[in-house]
Amino acid sequence: MTLYHFGNCLALVYAPYHMAYKFSGISEYATFSKCVYAGGLYIFTQLCKMLLLATFFPDSDSSHITGEYNVFLEILKATVDFADLLGIYFALNSVPGKGHAKILTSAIGWASAEVVVTRSVLLWVGARGSEFDWRYVRSCAESNVALLHTAATAALVWLATRSDLPRRHAPAVLALLALAPYRGLLEDAVASVLALSAWALLALRALHATAVGLTALAMYAVLAQQIGI
Amino acid sequence: MWLDEADGFAEIFKGYLPYYLLVALPIFIIMSPVNPVAASHEFSVYRMQHYDLHTVPHGCRSASFNLEGRSLTSWSTSRHCVVARVQDITIDQFMEIRSKAGALLLVLPKNDTVLTPEEKEHIQLLEMAMIQQEVNAPVYFARWTPDFEDILRDLQHSFITDDKSGTALEAMMNSVSSNGYQIVVSASTPQKLDSKPVTLHGKLVGRSGSAQTIVIAAHYDSSGVVPELSVGADSNASGAVAVLELARIFSRLYSLSVVRGAPSLLFVLTSLGHSLNYFSAKKWLEEQLDSADASLLQDVSFVMCIDSISSSREMTMHVSKPPKPGGAAHSIKSRLGVTITHKKINLADELLAWQHERFSIRRMTAFTLSSLQSHKDPSRSTVLDQPNEASVKNLADNIAVTARALASHIYNLTDELNEEDAALYNDALNVDEASIRRWYKYLSSQARAPQIITTTPPSAGVTGALERALSRYMEVTVSTHAVDKREPEYTLYGATRAALYVYSVKPAVFDLILTLAIVAYLSVVYFAIQLFPRFYEEYAKIVTGKAKVH
Repeated sequence: MTLYHFGNCLALVYAPYHMAYKFSGISEYATFSKCVYAGGLYIFTQLCKMLLLATFFPDSDSSHITGEYNVFLEILKATVDFADLLGIYFALNSVPGKGHAKILTSAIGWASAEVVVTRSVLLWVGARGSEFDWRYVRSCAESNVALLHTAATAALVWLATRSDLPRRHAPAVLALLALAPYRGLLEDAVASVLALSAWALLALRALHATAVGLTALAMYAVLAQQIGI
Repeated sequence: MWLDEADGFAEIFKGYLPYYLLVALPIFIIMSPVNPVAASHEFSVYRMQHYDLHTVPHGCRSASFNLEGRSLTSWSTSRHCVVARVQDITIDQFMEIRSKAGALLLVLPKNDTVLTPEEKEHIQLLEMAMIQQEVNAPVYFARWTPDFEDILRDLQHSFITDDKSGTALEAMMNSVSSNGYQIVVSASTPQKLDSKPVTLHGKLVGRSGSAQTIVIAAHYDSSGVVPELSVGADSNASGAVAVLELARIFSRLYSLSVVRGAPSLLFVLTSLGHSLNYFSAKKWLEEQLDSADASLLQDVSFVMCIDSISSSREMTMHVSKPPKPGGAAHSIKSRLGVTITHKKINLADELLAWQHERFSIRRMTAFTLSSLQSHKDPSRSTVLDQPNEASVKNLADNIAVTARALASHIYNLTDELNEEDAALYNDALNVDEASIRRWYKYLSSQARAPQIITTTPPSAGVTGALERALSRYMEVTVSTHAVDKREPEYTLYGATRAALYVYSVKPAVFDLILTLAIVAYLSVVYFAIQLFPRFYEEYAKIVTGKAKVH
């Protein structure tokens, strides 16, 4: 629409990340460079994934033309997203400090890089055009949900790497981690089955991220009490 | 590393970024395209007629605009583009829009069948009113599409206007829920078209010794308010088809010397009709009569013009001088059994009434056969003049009647004596309905406005097809006419079509409301983050408490 509308969208994207960084206490650890490092790792991971996809998977553009939706292929593609978990693991390892600082720093760095890479161009060309579309506002709100989701995933990865994880939690953590790459696919599937609108899909994503986040938080709390942080 | 020293983004913003931004932001803004996204709606639209006749301007004079779309009831200034259905707009409203609005976009009906006869008549009258004078605002027509239906509905039901809603809250709610539309047509300013009207004629030579000539003429262009959409099925595809069919019938008769008639038959197809004052016929007559070798039109028995004969089975003979009893025209009249409408030529009028007047001015006996009662019938120039099945039947019948009358005049038969004669007649003068239908369908599927048929080369398009059809029966001469350079009889302007983009937009106040909503959301997020440690304590207590139970 206008530069003002673009500003609106930017505020919606940027402010939650800024607040998460500023008020969660990790800024006291002076780990801004670690955030940037996590972001760099994100970009590196994506490049590796792209290389994999381009090498081993058929051209996705041609299937767009024919209009067929190959479920098996989509699932295989989502499987490549396991590389994300690996990337988050390296990011966690690189951050010194206590568990929550590790998790938040790498999550914020990772998610910020994701927003910059996937959404900034779309916003810059889209939200400034004279055409108004709720899509851009929605995409900004979605990036907030993505932050929550990345934090939950990072917490799960951290939990999985702990050797002192309570044994009864291990299956839950591993199951959630195994499902993490397929979350987008699952949400889309539910949305198409229930014929949800775009806003309802957004709400579904938020709900999903909150549920996963609370579960991870509960297990984190148990572990934290156990090891006394 | 400077990144380590900085305490987050805020520090970087304070310390480093502003200097870069001063340079970078303007560059970004300059570099990014003005309208980066494709519009959500893109339509082909067709511009209204635009021509000068004897330097008197007619039709729409401009082409491009970029305005906010409004409905018929909610527009107010020249910054608005009025979007309406053709059947909804009254002539008074059009006059007001003509003088005050910025642009007009009219959506044609889905098809003829959704219109009542009153609506059809109304649209025809509106077209006449529109073409009478010049319109300075751009006027476009669009074919009906479901997308347009949505846009029209949105425009009718939303009031982005500030004064019409009751309370401020209501206005705010309206501005959030309603869609505004920015309508853009980027086109260059209308250009003069290089118009080269043509006339096709071919002659079937009669028995030697007789010099009498019968001229059968029709124009084949159409005139509607939208050049690209005026297919002119009745006026005058029907006339052109009739000429072709008569040419076919009589070429068969004239090919055998035994049954060849006495008078020669001259078939003439002119490219410009009533909308441009029968310019082709005028020029062609000048060329034929004023040239040194004026053999073609030396002894004309009569000129029969055929115009709009598919609307009913009744035909009327329009003359500018009552035919004398005993004359050829009278003979045809009585053989056709038609009524006569007499209208004197009025040279003071801007337009001649019928094509035969062009011939009558040159002192030939001439008349026009038409199903229409009056030359002022609005159905002669309307975009609603579409082909239909009933018309084909009428057309075939009228052609058969005309062929029969013509034949009985040529062979000077007074009556069909018995059934044997009638069978002979039927055999010789049989109209080929399949061919009539084919030609009628072909001609009425082509936009044949002067802007289109006189700018394509004579060997291509409709002109080329007609020439090839006629040359199957006789030798055809194509004469190309030129418009006077210094005092043009008419001037045509293009372009006739354009691409229209519709952007959905929100009013400025919407962004303010959006800002408020975002600020509210962000403060919720802020408090959530502030309250998180306390929430975590409570949550951990619940979770670990339960864990201990296990």
